[in-house]
Amino acid sequence: MSAGNRLTASSPAGSIYDLGYRHYEGKRHGRWYAAWSLYVESLRGVWGFGRPMSAKAAPFILAGLYSFFAFLQLAFSSTLASEISSGQQVQLFAYDSYFTTFSLLLVLFCVAQAPEVVCRDQRYQVLSLYFTRAIGRADYALARVASLSTALFLALIVPMIALFVGDVLMKPDTISAIGDELPKALPAIPADLLIAASMASISLALSSYSPRRAYSAIGLIAYFLLMEAVPAIIYAVANHGGWSSADKLVLLTPITSLTGATDWFFGKALTSDYPATLGPAAYVLACLVSVGVFSAILLFRYRRIAA
Amino acid sequence: MALIETASLTKNYGTVKALDRLDLQVEPGIIGLVGANGAGKSTLIKILLGLVPPSSGRASVLGLDVADETREIRKVVGYMPENDCLPPDVGATEFVTHMARISGLPRTAARERTAEVLRHVGLYEERYRQIGGYSTGMKQRVKLAQALAHDPKLLLLDEPTNGLDPTGRDEMLDLIKRTGTDFGISVVVASHLLGEIEQVCTFLLAVDAGHLLKAAPISTFTQRTPVLAVEVEEGADRLTAALTGRGFKARQEDQCVLLVLESETLYDAVRDTVADLALPLVRVQQERRRLEDIFREPEQGLEPAAGGAQ
Repeated sequence: MSAGNRLTASSPAGSIYDLGYRHYEGKRHGRWYAAWSLYVESLRGVWGFGRPMSAKAAPFILAGLYSFFAFLQLAFSSTLASEISSGQQVQLFAYDSYFTTFSLLLVLFCVAQAPEVVCRDQRYQVLSLYFTRAIGRADYALARVASLSTALFLALIVPMIALFVGDVLMKPDTISAIGDELPKALPAIPADLLIAASMASISLALSSYSPRRAYSAIGLIAYFLLMEAVPAIIYAVANHGGWSSADKLVLLTPITSLTGATDWFFGKALTSDYPATLGPAAYVLACLVSVGVFSAILLFRYRRIAA
Repeated sequence: MALIETASLTKNYGTVKALDRLDLQVEPGIIGLVGANGAGKSTLIKILLGLVPPSSGRASVLGLDVADETREIRKVVGYMPENDCLPPDVGATEFVTHMARISGLPRTAARERTAEVLRHVGLYEERYRQIGGYSTGMKQRVKLAQALAHDPKLLLLDEPTNGLDPTGRDEMLDLIKRTGTDFGISVVVASHLLGEIEQVCTFLLAVDAGHLLKAAPISTFTQRTPVLAVEVEEGADRLTAALTGRGFKARQEDQCVLLVLESETLYDAVRDTVADLALPLVRVQQERRRLEDIFREPEQGLEPAAGGAQ
């Protein structure tokens, strides 16, 4: 009875349905939580989650195409296995050459999705909301790089897993096959991490300089095409003319350097397309430097940008 | 503790002085920040948020210094910018939840707060639709909701009624008033429309060209400038002349005569004069836009640019 009275006294009838405005008394996290939240949201955004269906098309089609051939090999692994056991030579996709073969699709992935990650907030002036909150400008930029890197890493690692499963299934003894295949497959993890970080930092740094998606995408295409072709051409001509230090120019190419670095992780010798004077380790270094330089460009951009 | 304090706050953009040695001391409440476009309202708000560094001078919000304790300030302040700031391809719920999390609220708390503030600003079924399909009024509500999501102690609203139709404007002003009075959150409303400020605010800051024109509780304005508007269909000029002749301060504005309401005899005088001149009278009303007089006619019993801060 008394409890009932207290209830009525402290809560008038209408308040059950309208609680009114309640202040938030709970926990408030700081900048790291904010950066983590942005990272998660951004990663979802790259894949189009929480956005309309049309936003999912580009990332899933491009990443799907990139994985397609690995899954094709997985699907036919039993057929291939019988061909191998009957002594036939079968051309297979391998961990160390998969990126080299299909890198164009990942470049297109960057061209499509990097502007999505950084242009949108500039175009619709959402930055003024971010930069008046717990998150810092550097936190913002780094969370964006981390999210695109993760998205690229996922796109890169899925076909590797498919190849691994396929290779294991092709062998009669599964347990020993895993033991055989794992050392061959594992270098794909650090190699793909480097590829993801390098491509993400390059494409975000360049995209962040325009609020318009289209301009950013064109800029990225131009960068990847020109930086791939021009140093290689200069090297070819200069090498012919006897300019010995022209080989360093090849280190400026984004994708060629990355495939060179991949060879270092897999312990492979570089093909004859590369200058003989530089070992694979030089390309790893070049890619690490590119991650640093382009991240710095991105940070510089967000330090100056008006919110 | 003072809500906002500034000491000789100055901001230069090149040779343009956006703020010129501004001294302020403002107590919690609903504060109207009035001034023409380019008077320095947005600049002041951006300095208080730490978005723009001041050229010289100091400023503090809720006792926190804007230069040294920016992060602490941002935790307890909500900001609604003047411009559009919403991505079109997400729903309001998703966006406001995300912004609440960026402000540091845990996931479940962010969801709950989002549902609550969206209900408060009056977005219901639409809240799952993409923001790109919203009307201007709904977008303004989402902007207000994201500023309220983390339950700030102070809301900084930059031209919250921009682009709204009269109904939308009244609803937005009502929301602001409720936020200030029912929720107990201090609000700074920047606007160039004095009529709006007058409807909702308890305290008024008038700035012009980076200077503080006036800072005082709104009641002191209404006490000092009671104006009676007399609208006639024709002959406003004759009415003005007749009333001026009888010793009243009168000014004609279109078909309206504005009179300074200093004594009760004015009502009788207006009645008699209108009757004598046989003018078609439309309305006699205490003028609602009377605050505009502080910009237009400082000689009408108002102190011009009186002594800075109170």
